[in-house]
Amino acid sequence: MDDDQFDEVLRDLPRTFNVPPEPPLDEMWSVIEASHFNAPVPISAPRGFTSRAPWLAVAAALVVGIGIGHYLPLGKTAPANATSPSAIASSNSSSAVKDTSAVADAYRDQTSRYLGQAAALLISLPARDANAKTDATFASKAADLLVTTRLLIDSPAAAEDPKLHSLLEDLELVLVQIARLRGARSKGDLDLIHQAVEQGDVISRLNSAVATTQSSE
Amino acid sequence: MNERQLIARVIAGDRLAGRTLYDTHAPRVYSLAYRLSGDAEKAREVTQDTFIRAFSRLAQFRGDAAFSTWLHRIVVTVVSNARRSEVRIAREVALDEAHSIEMTAPEAEPDLKESIARAVDNLSEAYRTTLILHDIEGYTHAEIASMLGVPEGTCKSRLSAARAQLREQLAAFKE
Repeated sequence: MDDDQFDEVLRDLPRTFNVPPEPPLDEMWSVIEASHFNAPVPISAPRGFTSRAPWLAVAAALVVGIGIGHYLPLGKTAPANATSPSAIASSNSSSAVKDTSAVADAYRDQTSRYLGQAAALLISLPARDANAKTDATFASKAADLLVTTRLLIDSPAAAEDPKLHSLLEDLELVLVQIARLRGARSKGDLDLIHQAVEQGDVISRLNSAVATTQSSE
Repeated sequence: MNERQLIARVIAGDRLAGRTLYDTHAPRVYSLAYRLSGDAEKAREVTQDTFIRAFSRLAQFRGDAAFSTWLHRIVVTVVSNARRSEVRIAREVALDEAHSIEMTAPEAEPDLKESIARAVDNLSEAYRTTLILHDIEGYTHAEIASMLGVPEGTCKSRLSAARAQLREQLAAFKE
């Protein structure tokens, strides 16, 4: 090899030596985020989805918010004859109790509706040999439900009910896996989802939760 | 928002600022990690380790050098540590497998690209890193010196020696 050839080798090194592939930015960030900012790893990966579609999170928050608002009592003004401070305090106090109870009812109703949708999705989960079009439809529904799931996990309904909270967290993991079916999936992806649903006994817990929330309405 | 403000926010625990800083630097960090390690999985781990270390030490970043240089110095350190432990393990495995070497079939004559890759990998750690940083990743001697914590003159002499060794290894190669 002469000088010119060697110079050419050096010039070509950036194109020939260990040429990097496309970096898996979201995947790496999920690990970094979990480690440094203490975010749970399974949740962080699909966060990329909501961060790419922030309107979806806003839309879901609006849907839940509007639904809750729909069930709240309309009249919140103090009675006209309540003029003394004690009377107003008494009136406000009973109104607050009523409002708190109404909010709880509203959350329960939204939760019940959400649980029904989640159960419907899981029951009709595609078979293992389903085609890509079916995957995309389910992935899209799962992504929609995922945003609502996260809102409900932080809701008073879940805070007061450890069983519901646990179910919502399990559902979140399953929905994350289904939402990932948007991209190219490996052969075992659906198997893993089916396993997660079966092992967590998610469907029967869902049915039980739906029955509980409906009976308390 | 400039980089210094972003860094201050990350120190305060702002994950959005963290993601912005990450998005700005991660592609280059990953590229450098891949060039040095030659493996996608290792490059991913190095990139993650680099940012985790960097974020936890951000308060120590005084801004004497560019943030990217500071970050890339961490990459070089992480890769270097990983390679050292790999070499140690490889030596142990080589001893265990010494008997089986005679049984393996002779390899086919490598092409130029393979020969160059082998020649670069055969360089000593310091020479290899310097060559990759300068001739492949395009850093200046001043930047490399800052990253490796050596004088610029050392950096230049290492590059010169690395090229000489590379040329020597490739001398016999005929296209």
